[in-house]
Amino acid sequence: MWKFMPYIAKSLWRNRTRSILTVSGAAVAMFVFTFVGSVQEGMANLNRGSQTERTLIVFQANRFCPYTSFVPEDYTRTLAKMPGVLEAVPIKVYMNNCRASLDVVVFNGLPPDKLLKIRDLKLASGDWSTFEKQRDAAVVGNALAKRRNLSVGQRFSVGAATVMVAGIFTAANAAEESFIYTHLEFLQRTRGLNSVGTVTQIEVLLADGTDATAMCRSIDEKFRGGPIQTDTRPKGVFQTRAVGDLVELIGFAHYLGYACAFLVLTLVGTTTLMAVQDRVREHAVLQTLGFSWVRIFGLVMMESLIVSLLGGCLGTGLAMAMLSWKGLAVGSEGVTIAFSTSPMLAAAGLLATTLVGLTAGLLPAWTAARAEIVESLRSI
Amino acid sequence: MPLIEIHALTKEYAKGDQKIIPLQDMSLAIDKGDFVSLMGASGSGKSTLLNIIAGIDKPSAGTIHVAGTDITKLSRTQLAHWRARHVGYIFQLYNLIPVLTAYENIELPLLLLPLTRAERHKRVEIVLEAVGLTDRADHYPRQLSGGQEQRVGIARAIVTDPVIVVADEPTGDLDAETSEQILQLLQRLNAELGTTLLMVTHDPKSAAIARRQLRLEKGVLLEPDPPKVALAAQGA
Repeated sequence: MWKFMPYIAKSLWRNRTRSILTVSGAAVAMFVFTFVGSVQEGMANLNRGSQTERTLIVFQANRFCPYTSFVPEDYTRTLAKMPGVLEAVPIKVYMNNCRASLDVVVFNGLPPDKLLKIRDLKLASGDWSTFEKQRDAAVVGNALAKRRNLSVGQRFSVGAATVMVAGIFTAANAAEESFIYTHLEFLQRTRGLNSVGTVTQIEVLLADGTDATAMCRSIDEKFRGGPIQTDTRPKGVFQTRAVGDLVELIGFAHYLGYACAFLVLTLVGTTTLMAVQDRVREHAVLQTLGFSWVRIFGLVMMESLIVSLLGGCLGTGLAMAMLSWKGLAVGSEGVTIAFSTSPMLAAAGLLATTLVGLTAGLLPAWTAARAEIVESLRSI
Repeated sequence: MPLIEIHALTKEYAKGDQKIIPLQDMSLAIDKGDFVSLMGASGSGKSTLLNIIAGIDKPSAGTIHVAGTDITKLSRTQLAHWRARHVGYIFQLYNLIPVLTAYENIELPLLLLPLTRAERHKRVEIVLEAVGLTDRADHYPRQLSGGQEQRVGIARAIVTDPVIVVADEPTGDLDAETSEQILQLLQRLNAELGTTLLMVTHDPKSAAIARRQLRLEKGVLLEPDPPKVALAAQGA
């Protein structure tokens, strides 16, 4: 088939405006397809890993937004003493927007010495010692740093909080890269927050073999008579509830992905069929020269595949580049879903365009291959 | 033994309620190296006969042996492979691929044969020279005159060194002077390369350059005595 590539390429170039428009349409559709895929992958990544099962979030009962949860900080000591608890870490959450947003900035204030005990982070730049020593220091996730163009040493303000960037980290979980970690005391004492003695939530790390569900009940039971009642859930459940509205939206978005694939199918199919109809006589000439119907079928399929793949590569490539560069994340109630890019996502995009290209080419290729030679030679 | 042997060939098809029989119980033999012209009125079945011999149309009955192969027994795919190796086809309207250069048009049928790039190049160069278009190799069909296009068409038909070359009114779309040049070229190919040629034409003058002239009338094949013009052309 490679011997015929110049003919295939020239055939596509013959109606270059039509070919370019089709490739562009396919590229736009595959851009959206990849974008939707990245959100879904981000959603799947959110609750992946053992941490989401072994970690509990203790929140104030009957509260949903982090702004309204005020759990007494001294609950931490009680929790730390409970059997099966490895670590209890008080966290103050502060963010620029409690509702669903594409540019949510979430501060997590916690004792600096506890950060690496509960998070798997690696510094890409900066150093931990500055973070630990300086009260207003913060380590910023790589995705957020890209999005907000932050660098080490820079001061950065969101609402009432102004921090100094001591480091930029990468994380195994892409959603983590949209967070800022700073000192608990700093956030508690930030003017306007006035929350000394309270935290938004307490994160509890369980020992292996501990029954998370039973532990949740046990914790809530313990604080039932306390000043603030708690609502404890495994981290995965907590996150899913926090982004509940988004989950529904993201779930619906996969239909958008199918629609994009169908759009490419109709675009490429129409273009290839038009190209075949324009060349009825030419295909008859090729058959007269000795091209078998299988060969003609293959040539048309290749044309369809090339148009589809060009659009797919362009759209998927652009989406991957943009997502990697911008580090986008969608967040709600302090939980973020990172738009994840991975080789699997790129492969899925290319596989989709390959399948779509082949499917789109079937009817035009069959039409071209099975046409009667003599009758086609008479066509104008 | 003749190169082409046609026996009891019949072709019929329906046109609405009417049954058309352009060829009925026809038999014909063509020797290797022959140059045969086939004349007849419009609708006499001459192009149908040519297409059947070229393997792009199927007869309703009868047999056609070309170089020992009964092509009526071949499947559609086998027939395509057979055409690639055994038949060269010259069209009235040239039918060159517009996006390919003269060189690429001529090379096209060679892509179907197990030849290296160098072998293909050599063959294309030879036929380009034979048709006098070496300096037009990189030209696209739109950059060529009608006569030059037809010469590319002839080069494409002979480049695979086929058993038989069929030409369907090869001068039908050309002016008198260019037609003369094309006919001389066909005559030269037949004389110098020994190419077996079957040419359909409605022009008696064109038909006269062939060594053997056939006429189709109402589906019946007639072989008249060689006309004087043909004898004169052959120096007889």
